[in-house]
Amino acid sequence: MLTKENLAEVLSLALQNGGDFADIYLERKKTTIIGLEADKIERVKSGIDVGAGLRVISGDNTSYAHTNDISIESLKKTAQIVSKAAAGEKKSADTTLKQKPANWELNYQKRPGEVDIKDKVSLVEAANKAAREADNRVKQVAVGYGDVEQQVTIANSDGSYQEDLRLRTRIIINVVAQDGDVIQTGFESLGGLQGFEIFDDSDVSQLAKSAAQRAVAMLEAKPAPAGKMAVVMASEAGGTMVHEACGHGLEADLVQKKLSVYGGKLGQKVASELITVVDDGTKDGKYGSFRYDDEGTPASKTVLIEKGILKSYMYDRLTGRKENRESTGNGRRESYQDRPIPRMTNTYIESGTSDPQEIIAETKQGLLVKKMGGGQVNTTNGEFVFDVAEGYLIKDGKVGQMVRGATLTGNGPKVLQIVDRVGNDLGFAIGTCGKDGQGVPVSDAQPTMRIPEMVVGGILEED
Amino acid sequence: MVQDLKKIGEETVAKAVKLGAAEAEIFLVSDQELSIEVTGQEVENMKVAESRGLGVRVIKDGKFGFAYTADLGGDALDFVVKQALDNADITAVDEFNKLPQPGAKYPQLDIYDEAIGNASVEQKIQLAKDIERYAKEYDSRIAITERCAYQDASYHVSIVNSHGISQEYRGAYCGAYAFLVAQEGEDQQTGFGLQYELKFKQLDPKKVGYEAAEKAVRMLGAEEVATQKATVVLDPYVATNFLGVIAPALTAESVQKGKSLFAGKVGQTVGSSSLTIIDDGAMEGAVVSAPMDGEGVPCGKTVLIEGGQVKRFLHNTYTAAKEGVQSTGNGTRGSFKGTPEVGTTNFYIAPGDTSREKLLGDISQGLYITEVMGMHTANPISGDFSVGASGLWIENGEFVRPVKGVAIAGNIKDLLQSIDCIGTDLTFFVGKGSPTIRIANMTISGS
Repeated sequence: MLTKENLAEVLSLALQNGGDFADIYLERKKTTIIGLEADKIERVKSGIDVGAGLRVISGDNTSYAHTNDISIESLKKTAQIVSKAAAGEKKSADTTLKQKPANWELNYQKRPGEVDIKDKVSLVEAANKAAREADNRVKQVAVGYGDVEQQVTIANSDGSYQEDLRLRTRIIINVVAQDGDVIQTGFESLGGLQGFEIFDDSDVSQLAKSAAQRAVAMLEAKPAPAGKMAVVMASEAGGTMVHEACGHGLEADLVQKKLSVYGGKLGQKVASELITVVDDGTKDGKYGSFRYDDEGTPASKTVLIEKGILKSYMYDRLTGRKENRESTGNGRRESYQDRPIPRMTNTYIESGTSDPQEIIAETKQGLLVKKMGGGQVNTTNGEFVFDVAEGYLIKDGKVGQMVRGATLTGNGPKVLQIVDRVGNDLGFAIGTCGKDGQGVPVSDAQPTMRIPEMVVGGILEED
Repeated sequence: MVQDLKKIGEETVAKAVKLGAAEAEIFLVSDQELSIEVTGQEVENMKVAESRGLGVRVIKDGKFGFAYTADLGGDALDFVVKQALDNADITAVDEFNKLPQPGAKYPQLDIYDEAIGNASVEQKIQLAKDIERYAKEYDSRIAITERCAYQDASYHVSIVNSHGISQEYRGAYCGAYAFLVAQEGEDQQTGFGLQYELKFKQLDPKKVGYEAAEKAVRMLGAEEVATQKATVVLDPYVATNFLGVIAPALTAESVQKGKSLFAGKVGQTVGSSSLTIIDDGAMEGAVVSAPMDGEGVPCGKTVLIEGGQVKRFLHNTYTAAKEGVQSTGNGTRGSFKGTPEVGTTNFYIAPGDTSREKLLGDISQGLYITEVMGMHTANPISGDFSVGASGLWIENGEFVRPVKGVAIAGNIKDLLQSIDCIGTDLTFFVGKGSPTIRIANMTISGS
């Protein structure tokens, strides 16, 4: 077992040739994955990942090395490697490592490691059964269950030392429906920074049924129309839009490298006054939450845009240091193999005042998005896309024909400026966000919203 | 140390059999990685990494169990074997669960270039700096470097199973890439260039820098176009993005589970007669080539679609047993943490016979797509796709202006049928390759 003194020694070694800052991230991760498909439990995987990542920052240069041998000898060797790239005067680490209090406390009920694997298997089988019973056009069901117990220890040369335990549990249900030559799919997921108790309040069978019903309904859907039209996003659609349209562009590393359309716009109006955007890593049980981020900074709530005015970006230590300010607790990494970078946690647009039903009723013609899939953004020019997993045409204020195969594309700042209705509801969805090759768990949410005009990527009907 | 790994594998297999496994397999990897990112002629990030680990697969009472560990110490190996056996208690019995037999002949491949490891870190930093220098030399509007990078990795793989397979090999690759921003007034546009090779001397920083710069600069001033139907050309990179969506449908796993567009279509025409799609895990000079797959089965060439007709699918040992055929050597593993799933290796569209110039020259009105956004949202099961796109507008065979903010949508089935011309310029992007592809008529959603 590594002591605080061991870690302090490693940090001092890392700074032996100079450098402004060093930190070490130790991780021990226990993973269980259960996969069911074709009516049988196909795979059960379990594994233990152990490793440490060491970083030295020297001016604008970051040197990073990692190893999955966490003996003190190996860590010292790794410290020698990272110390080589550093320059300047020899610096010693603050050896009085201390823990800072968190902004909120964890409340895990059932540690996945202590739950009988048979209970996990039953849950997966129940989801499969419910999806198959939903409709006889359901041809294939895949259920993926996963839990992770991640223990981290993070120490740095400024004397900060944190330990944390993150438990994350999730289930994903994919359903394939077929009618003749047409195949369609439906998908639902549930996950959180929670133990197995997440399933106490949520009905997995209902979730599976709704994935099945969407797959079946999609068999009858028509291709989406093409061109510009009004778009209403229901709260249950999730928050992919806010994540892409402004979330990534508000990450400080992209801003500082002049790779964001939101750069240099603090205090300026970047969205409709109906829009307030928040990133909050302290939301109890949400998939993107944690007590301390991956640099040991306590998670916090950051108002990014308030009534249309840009208030703050999201910072990690490195980007905070460049502007002489504190990290906002957004320094995250996929694993000990990666250096931390500014990332979102749980990102949402705050609820407004409009009645969601009225928003639809007041829309003459357009597209209703009931569920969003993934998305992507080019932060440099603000162009973004997101996938519509469930969409319907709106005609004269009424919800009509279901459509498929639609991606919505727009320009982040432009779309947020023209939002003209924000509902009094809010709906979260989970996802894995990818940036620089690192995937981290996040959640996003939006109220029901209307955008008067967006490009729908559909099919032009033959004349 | 390398010698040790195979020995650990053999001992762990013996341990698993002793503890009750009917069949057992150990997959061990040890690798070293280096990456260097340069911005403004300074090293911004440098990463040095080393890792090793093993995955254990066992079959007990006809059931598969799997577990992995990065800890190769004595107790951890006992634990991981027991864990795999415990996991086998829970999975379903399947008569086709089996591990491959020894005796196969492996291709001889030149995939380990010592020059990669021998080159100094300073030389590699210089290479990354050169990419940036060339990019700025190409055009003064190259304003920002997101990153110019050099990267390499070397790895050693051992596969041992209880039937007597005991193999190992080593390989290495290196790469260079650039992500840049061109600026003119308020307008900023991005461009990238990349190159991955088996040989250090093949890396060409000038080519990478120029390519990224050209792509960024030519997008300056991009605007939307009206919604319409027109000829669409996919550049090789965009075409490989579409290949990624097609890949799962050409695996026997998807076919057997009713999740493939091509299920039941062997011998039928699913694409234009000019379309041939190949997977070749033993391709000379290709980055993903290896003598064997993640189960120890020899890699080789499999023609999947030929002249528009489905010929066969990719197999691992399990899917092959289910159909009474031979594995195609496509039991691929992402790392020691994964089981060998059916996957592609060097997967590509075979070159056609029309030069890129002629392919473009024949177009009266159309869109040459150089970038797509949201391709990961395309549905490989239904084949539906709808993605954001940008590129260059073509009039009378010439690029006339840049286009952004449009979307293209459709179904892969229709897309394959509407290919009307394939270029000669096969280009690989790591494990996927394609020439320039022309599509007869597609909806472009715009303003």
